[in-house]
Amino acid sequence: MSGPAPAAAPDWRGRLTDPVLWRWITRALVLVAAVVLVLFPLSPSISAQNTVILALVFAISASGLNIITGYAGYLSLSQGAFLGIGAYTGAILARANPGVSPFVWAPVAGVVAAVVAALLGLVTYRSRGPSFVIITIAFTLLVQFVARQWTGLTNGSSGITLPLPDWPREWGNWPFHLVLVALLALSLLLSWWIRRTKFGTGLIAIREDEGKAGTIGINAPVYKLLAFGLSALLTGMAGSVYGYYLTFVDPSGMFAILLSVQIVLSVILGGRGTLFGPVLGAFIIQPLNSWANTIGGGGNVRLVLFGGLLVLLVLLLPSGILPSLQALLERIRTRGTVGLSGARLGAVGESPAVTTPRERPAVAAAPLLEVRGLAKSFGGNRAVDDCSFTVPEGSITALIGPNGSGKTTVFNLVSGTMTPDRGEILLGGEAIERLSPWSRAHRGIGRTFQITRLFKEMTVLENVVAPLRDFSPGQLGLGAVSGAEARRAEELLAFVGMSAYRDARAGSLSYGQQKLVELAQVLVLEPRLILLDEPAGGINPTLIERMGELIRELNRQGTTFLLVEHNMPFVLGLCDPIRVLARGAVIAEGGPEQIQHDPLVLDAYLGDDFLLEGESKTGAVPTVKGGRA
Amino acid sequence: MISLIQTLILGVLVGAVYALLASGLTLIFGVMRVINLAHGAFAILAAFLTYTLWSWLGLDPLLSIPIVTVAMFAVGWVVYQLAIRHVRGRHVSMTVLLTFGISLVLEGVMGFVWGNTSHSVRTDYTDASVQLGPFFLPEAQLIVAIVAVVVIGLLYLVLQRTWAGRAIRAASSNESGALLVGVSVSSVAALTFAIGTATLGAGGAMISVIYPFLPGSHDQWIARLLAIVVLGGLGSLPGAIVGALVIGVGEMLATSYIGASWPVAVPFLVIFVVLVLRPQGLMGTRLREDAVA
Repeated sequence: MSGPAPAAAPDWRGRLTDPVLWRWITRALVLVAAVVLVLFPLSPSISAQNTVILALVFAISASGLNIITGYAGYLSLSQGAFLGIGAYTGAILARANPGVSPFVWAPVAGVVAAVVAALLGLVTYRSRGPSFVIITIAFTLLVQFVARQWTGLTNGSSGITLPLPDWPREWGNWPFHLVLVALLALSLLLSWWIRRTKFGTGLIAIREDEGKAGTIGINAPVYKLLAFGLSALLTGMAGSVYGYYLTFVDPSGMFAILLSVQIVLSVILGGRGTLFGPVLGAFIIQPLNSWANTIGGGGNVRLVLFGGLLVLLVLLLPSGILPSLQALLERIRTRGTVGLSGARLGAVGESPAVTTPRERPAVAAAPLLEVRGLAKSFGGNRAVDDCSFTVPEGSITALIGPNGSGKTTVFNLVSGTMTPDRGEILLGGEAIERLSPWSRAHRGIGRTFQITRLFKEMTVLENVVAPLRDFSPGQLGLGAVSGAEARRAEELLAFVGMSAYRDARAGSLSYGQQKLVELAQVLVLEPRLILLDEPAGGINPTLIERMGELIRELNRQGTTFLLVEHNMPFVLGLCDPIRVLARGAVIAEGGPEQIQHDPLVLDAYLGDDFLLEGESKTGAVPTVKGGRA
Repeated sequence: MISLIQTLILGVLVGAVYALLASGLTLIFGVMRVINLAHGAFAILAAFLTYTLWSWLGLDPLLSIPIVTVAMFAVGWVVYQLAIRHVRGRHVSMTVLLTFGISLVLEGVMGFVWGNTSHSVRTDYTDASVQLGPFFLPEAQLIVAIVAVVVIGLLYLVLQRTWAGRAIRAASSNESGALLVGVSVSSVAALTFAIGTATLGAGGAMISVIYPFLPGSHDQWIARLLAIVVLGGLGSLPGAIVGALVIGVGEMLATSYIGASWPVAVPFLVIFVVLVLRPQGLMGTRLREDAVA
C-alpha cells in the first residue's frame, strides 16, 4: 500500500467517469448512430425519410460552418447562402445540360460556393466581431437580391425547376440519402483532419486572440481565406443535392435568412468547435422544424420556435450540449482533487541547445535591430516621437523608462501589431516597418506581452505548437498533436520547466507559469530577436530568478534580447546595453554603470534617491554622491 | 433640374425619419456595445400599436405618440431585464444572436396577433400635398419629418441637460471611469436601452403613416437602419443623422434614376462597402485595440 487509500465512495465515481470508458462509449454511440443513419431509408415512413435527408443537408452545412464559427471564431449568418449558391449552381447547370444527371454538378457547385466564400473571407481582413456578423447578414440578403434581379441566369423570382430523379421508382430516396451520407462523412473527416493540423491550431489561435496570433507567425488572412473556402466546399455540394431533391430552387426559399439561422442554431446547440456537436444539433433542430411546419403551417410558429431557441440557447446553454456534458463529467471526475497549478516547478532542464546554434558575433557587433526616427501618435498624443536606438547582435538590451514613456508602443511597432507614422525599423539591415506581424515573426522576431496573452482555451502543448515558423502549405498540414512538431514543443516546455503541465488548459495556469509558457511559445519560432515585455513583472522572486537564468542561457546559445522592465536590480544584473526612453524618445544609452549615474536618467526616471535605495537593498550597486541622506 | 431638386427634397424628408429611427440604435450601441438587431422589429411593433389605437379609438397617429412612447419604454425595459442584461460583457456575436432571436420571436408574435398582411394608417393628410413653387411636398412626409426633428431635438436635450443624460454619455465614453465616479453602469444601460426603444414610439407612428408595413418588414428596416449607423459610425448620434440623410437621398435617387427595385439593395451595398473600406464610418472613432491591456 502506498499512501493513504482514498475512501471507497469515489471509487465507483472514478470508474464511471474514467476517460477511457467514455471514449469507448462515444465510439459505440457514434457507430450505432452511423449504422442507423446509413440504413435509415429502410424506414417505412416517407416523412421521416424526408426529415432525415433534410437533417443531413443541415448537418453538412453545420459541420462546414463549424470550421469558421467553432474553430476560427467568426459567427456567420451566411452559411445558408452557400447552400443556396450550391443549389443554384447545380440547377443552372442541370437546366443547361438536360440528360445529364444533376449529381454530376455537385463538385462544381462545391467549388463555386467555396470561391464565393473565400471572397467573403477576404472581408474579415478589415472587420471583426459585430461588423462581420452584420456583413454576413447583408451578404445573404444581397445574394437573394441578385438571384431575383439576374433573371437571365436565375429566372428571377419564378425560380428554376429541376428534372425529376431518373432512377427506377423502387430505389426511392436511396441515391439522395447515400450521396448525402457520403458528403457528411467527408465533412466530418475534413473537420477532424483540420483540428489535428497546425492549420487547425492556428484557426483556434485566431479565435482566441487574433492580434497575438499574428505575432507568432500566423498569417490570419490566408488562414481565414482557406477556412472560409473549406467551410463552403461541402456545403455547396450538399446544396446542389438539396436543390435536386426539392426539384425546385427560388430566391426566397434558398436565400432565406432563416436557413442560415437554422445552421447557426445547429452549431451552437450541439457545441461549437466539437466534431460531432454540429451534426447532433442539426438532427435535433430539423425534426423540430418539420414539426413546426406540420403543426403550425410553418410561418409564425417557425419564427417563434427558432427565435425562442436562439434566445434560450444564448442565455442558458451558450456553450452547447457536448461541451456542457464534457464539463460536467470533468467536474465529477476532478471533484476533491487538487489542481496542478499549485504544484512546484520542475528544475530548469539541462539544456542541450534548444535553439538553432548561432555564431556569437565579435564584440563590437553590428546591430541586429535598428530603429531610426520612429514616431507614432494616438490622436494628439505623441506616444513615440523621433525614437532611435539599436540592439547589438548577441546582446541582452534593456529598454527602460517611466510609465507612459512609450516602451510598449515601441514594442508594438517593432513586432508589427501597429504601423509607425514615420521612421524605419531595420532587422539585420532589412527594412521591416511595413511588413505584417507574421512576416516579421517569420524573419525572426518573437515577442511576449506585458499581460500574458496565451490562448486560454488551448492546452499548454497546443499553445506551444501553434506558432508558425514560415508560411507554406507543408507547414499548415503538419500534425499538431503528434509527430515532430509536438516533440519539439515538449523539448521547449522541458527547457522552461513546464513539462508537467503540457495537457493543462493554459487559462488555468498561474500568471508566472503563463509567462514561462509564453516564452516557450516564442522559442518555437526560432527567433533571432526576442522582445520581452516585463518578463519579471508580477511574478515571485524565485520565478524572476528562473526567468533570468533562462534568458542568459538562451543568450549564450546566440539569441538576442530586447526587454522592457521596471525591476531595476533585474535589469542591471542582466542587461547591457540599456536604452532609456522618456516622452517617446531615447534620452540616454549605455552600460548599466553609465546609466545609473546619468543625471538625465536620474531626473526622468530613477529619481535621485535611487542609488541609496539600491544600495540598501542589493548592496551591489556602488554608492554615489548626491543622495538625500 | 427641378425633378432632381424634388428628389433631393423627398430624400431629406425621408432621411429625417430614418435619423429618428436610427438614433435609438446608435445610442444603445454607444453605451453598451450591443447591436440591437431587434430594433427594426420594435419599430414595427410600435407601428402596430399606433395602428391599433387608430383603428379602435380613431386616434390620430401623431396624438398617440406619447402613449406608444411610454409603451415602448416599458417594452425596452422589460426586454433588457429579461434578456440583454445577461449577455453584457459576453462575446459580441452572442449579443447579436440574442437580439436577432428576439426579432424573430417578435415577428412571429406580431404575425399571430395582427396577421401577416400589409397594414397602413390612413389619415386626412395621407394623400394631401403642399405646393411650394414648382415643388410638391407630400403633407404626411412633411409632418413626420418635422416631428422627427422635434423628437431628435428632445433626445439631444435629455442627453445634454439631464443627469441621466450625462450618466449615459459618461458610460458611453468610458465604462470603468463612469463606475468610479458613482454612475451605476448597469442601471444606466437599462435606462439607455429603454430610452433607445422609446424613441421608436414616435418612429413607429411615422412608419405607420407613410409606409405600408407587416411583421416581415422589420428585415428591411433593420437593414436600412444598420446601414445608416454603420455609415455614420457606430455609436455616434450626429453620425446617424448624417448617415440617415445620405441613405434617404441615396434611396430616392436610386428609385428615380435606376429602378424601383433598387432601393432594396442600397442598404446592403452600403453596409458592405463601408465596413470593408472604412469600418469606423463617417464620424465614428476608431478604438485603440492594441496590447496595452
